[in-house]
Amino acid sequence: MKFIPLVWAALWRNRAESVLTLLALSVAFALFGIMIALNAAYEQAIDDARMDRLIIACRFECGAIPLGYREQLARIGGVTAVGGQVWLGGHEQDEHHQITVMFVDEEMRSAWPELPLSPADWRALEVTPAGIFLSRKAAARRNVRTGDTVTLNLPPGSRADGGTTWFFAVLGVIPDPPGWGQSNPDMIVGNLRYLENSIDLEERGRVNVLRVAVDRPEHARAVCRAIEAWFTNASPALYCVPARENAQELADANINMRQISLGIGAAGLFMILFLCANGIAESVRERLSEFGVLKALGYGDARIALLVILEAAAPTLLAALIGGALARGVGAFLAHLAVKGVIDMPEMRASPAAFGWALVAALLIALVSALAPLYRLRRMDVAAVVAGR
Amino acid sequence: MTELRQIAAVCLVGIGSLRERYATALVIVVGMACVVGVLTSMLSLTAGLTRAYLRPEDATRAIVWAERANFDQSRSLHRDVIGTILDAPGIARSSNGAALADPEFLMRIPPLEGFAAGSLQLRGVGPAGLALRPAFRIVAGRMFRTGARELVVGVGAARKFGLTVGSEVRLRDGKWPIVGVFSCGADIIESYLVGDAVIVMAATRRQGFAQVIAQLVDAKAYPEFQRWLTENPALAVYVERKTDYDRRELGMNTAFFTRMAYVIGAIMALGALCGVVKVMSAAVRARTREIGTLRAIGFGATPVALSVLLEAALLGTIGAVIGAAMAWLVFDGREMWVWGAFKLHVAPSLWVLGLVWALVTSLLGGFLPALRAGRLPPFEALRAE
Repeated sequence: MKFIPLVWAALWRNRAESVLTLLALSVAFALFGIMIALNAAYEQAIDDARMDRLIIACRFECGAIPLGYREQLARIGGVTAVGGQVWLGGHEQDEHHQITVMFVDEEMRSAWPELPLSPADWRALEVTPAGIFLSRKAAARRNVRTGDTVTLNLPPGSRADGGTTWFFAVLGVIPDPPGWGQSNPDMIVGNLRYLENSIDLEERGRVNVLRVAVDRPEHARAVCRAIEAWFTNASPALYCVPARENAQELADANINMRQISLGIGAAGLFMILFLCANGIAESVRERLSEFGVLKALGYGDARIALLVILEAAAPTLLAALIGGALARGVGAFLAHLAVKGVIDMPEMRASPAAFGWALVAALLIALVSALAPLYRLRRMDVAAVVAGR
Repeated sequence: MTELRQIAAVCLVGIGSLRERYATALVIVVGMACVVGVLTSMLSLTAGLTRAYLRPEDATRAIVWAERANFDQSRSLHRDVIGTILDAPGIARSSNGAALADPEFLMRIPPLEGFAAGSLQLRGVGPAGLALRPAFRIVAGRMFRTGARELVVGVGAARKFGLTVGSEVRLRDGKWPIVGVFSCGADIIESYLVGDAVIVMAATRRQGFAQVIAQLVDAKAYPEFQRWLTENPALAVYVERKTDYDRRELGMNTAFFTRMAYVIGAIMALGALCGVVKVMSAAVRARTREIGTLRAIGFGATPVALSVLLEAALLGTIGAVIGAAMAWLVFDGREMWVWGAFKLHVAPSLWVLGLVWALVTSLLGGFLPALRAGRLPPFEALRAE
């Protein structure tokens, strides 16, 4: 405790420069915090994708799977539910604004229970077949609310009645489902039965993707193999992948901040290491006589070292705290940009781990910064310094 | 003229004293190196992708694809309309009079074993496909034979998926052998398997091509080519210059990363800016007597202030060059796989961007200390300890 006045006095010897150092350190720690949170968000997007949910598509990109496969799939051991899904993509009134609606059938309640539709939402879809639910992000991007109408425009031929525009009533706003990562379009959910009744007869009874729930995650691979084997000679043949492995593949195949975020955070810290080291070295150099007096008064090397390390650690730890708070602000700004469609990234959450890592990094920077000044102080000729030589 | 001489003289004095202040100078140099290093490294990814997709020869090429249907979005250019498209005006002709336009078939191939092994893609090309790619070279094995169930694999896909001459991939009608490995001047097609489009379509029982790539006589031929195709009542197609198409597709897919690079670059620059202000303020403080002496012997306030500003700019520039050089040494030419194989490219434009980024940051950071240096009263400065 008795060091605190000494450390405090040393920190405020040059107020303006101390504040500037603190600002630089805080910005670097804010960047570090954002990168850690971003890394965790991408990891979370993969972790949220469940192993016991299977995604089934055409093995050779046929684009459409007969819904009739559902009964055969349901008979395969380990399969507990099968749901159908169709993507319909086009543009809104402004043709620069792309929109994709994901139509699902009611079997998805069991096949994909993570889809964030409550029983009341499912009932609403049943009562209003031309209704849709938008995720918060999708609704914010389009500035729509419950009760509004959203349009989807497609080239001629998409509707059985010859029309090119689909009108959907917004039934509500839902959260993004867990694992809904960067590679997916905005979550907009519609009723597959409505789509079926609105498209050409020859296109009915087909889906883009089937989602399957299996009884246990460890059965997922075996069930996938069984499904592929069952449909090897079918037309179309099927390809099956556990949702979690699919998420991992997508993360690896696209430009992914997860891979580089930690490197960027480290570069930010390296940037301030020299600033911090230079600051503490300068401070010690200018106060050699003060340290000489302390040594003459009986302060040992260990106590002097503690004093210098505390002096180095005070701004870095403070900056880690400020940076953590700033990171939340910048993170919120980035989330706002994501909602506006300027950037696209998974939702970042405040994490105690990120905060802990920032504190550890702050201590490490302080220790490394203090090394050179401590070496200098150890070799100091106390008599000469006190005499002013 | 006197002012200029004074500026030069003060700058030389300042730079001369950098040796004694090397530790503080290092703060700016390292800070800027980190900022520019991170910025150029991140942007080297989009530059590399752009280089792989946007080929110089694409400037006189156009791409034609079908308007989308509900299902089967990627292969809806029916083979019946291909002849009509190849009759469009403005398409260059080979010596034998054949149109230099190639209908292409695209599809993803699932992994032979296991799950989620990445996205191996197959491109079916016709006779004009190779004429459109003069850099195409077989580097191992041989070329696939027209009409045969054979494929060749690009060097990028070969490395990524461990494919080589003698490997097999499974299509709908069974296993197809890989008979050769090809390179194509770092074109993105090096990430594909390539085979005879007609045979691949027959094997996969598809009737539609994905797109037609057409070599035009020259860039001026495009408007007429586009008008003829889009106004033709027998066709329902989209037409776009190949460069515009690639730039649009690439822009959509890389926008997030590019914007993120600039956001991160700006945050780091803000941190570096605070560092520059701190370091240059300390430098002015350390040089107070020197500045006082200069002012006392007749040097003006402007040359003194400018010398501080120029010193910050010089240190920032050195840092930017080091940062960009580090990014170039570590990342330039390193192969990556994002939708296909490509090499990271620390393009000259990124060096320039890094320099400008560092210069602006350094000059902004040096402004306040420079102002303070210029306003130092000579007598007070001379009395400073």
